[in-house]
Amino acid sequence: MESLKLPATGRTPEVDFDFAQGVLRLSGESYPDDVATFFGPIFAALRSFLAEEGGHPIRFDMELLYFNSSSAKALMNIFQMLETAAGNGRSISVTWCYEENDDSMQELGEDFAEDLEHVAFTLKQIPADGAS
Amino acid sequence: MLAQQYAGIKRDLDEKGIIFSFSGYLSEGILYSLGEALREKMTLEETDGPTVRRVFAVFVEQMQNIIRYSAEKVTGAREKPVELSAGMVTIGMEGGKVFIVCGNTVYNADVPRLRDRLEHLKGLDKDALKTYYREQLRETPEEGARGANIGLIEIARRASEPIEYDFLELDDGKSFFCLKARI
Repeated sequence: MESLKLPATGRTPEVDFDFAQGVLRLSGESYPDDVATFFGPIFAALRSFLAEEGGHPIRFDMELLYFNSSSAKALMNIFQMLETAAGNGRSISVTWCYEENDDSMQELGEDFAEDLEHVAFTLKQIPADGAS
Repeated sequence: MLAQQYAGIKRDLDEKGIIFSFSGYLSEGILYSLGEALREKMTLEETDGPTVRRVFAVFVEQMQNIIRYSAEKVTGAREKPVELSAGMVTIGMEGGKVFIVCGNTVYNADVPRLRDRLEHLKGLDKDALKTYYREQLRETPEEGARGANIGLIEIARRASEPIEYDFLELDDGKSFFCLKARI
């Protein structure tokens, strides 16, 4: 399946879903003015990818520094898709990165991970780059 | 006269510790521009990254609440849909803390439900807010809600003190609603 790559904009994250390698990455910030328009194509691509037979393991790197509450709902949707696929036997690992001292983002990682049973979830602290 | 009049308004704002204040029609475009100015100002003052993000997070949720729920709105479409919503946003410093106050009109019919939600949030401590956030994150949104509930929890969570709110009844079936968060 073809990769989904979207460059970051001021309000939307960089999307780098390399489906052939099974490596999916979101980085930057997410507070789109229209969440449905931004996340719609991402959901669609992910859904068809997860529906493929006999796929190899998936690694999802969550490297967002900030997301708003409407994006939180969309991210939860992605997590639930991954959890369902993992429950059906796909090997899926998620790494949630947060900058050191960013308690909010660390805590959000815990909030999202709470009911994951089949996805292997890791919280990873990364050095702050000094930029906000 | 002119300078005196506006200097008076400016002095009033300065005395209240207000750094930014915007009153009028708000849009997603204004949210973006004001948000960038707010972050640049805080970064120049060497505020640490997580604090800047916490203030910014409250600012975004407050602005989006106005844009989505103000009872005074102009909507239309030119090249893309535009939503202009009347309201005001004020950001300042008070006792070493940043505060953000948002104000907009709401329909009286919506006041009781909003008041219940805010009163509920106000009474929750950090752990209870976390539990409530986790529940709402997994809820299917209510019809027409556009995610407001989780937005209000987000504001309460990022605030360092309980949120403050107030309503003032106006005479046309609407009330003026204010929400203040200190970070």
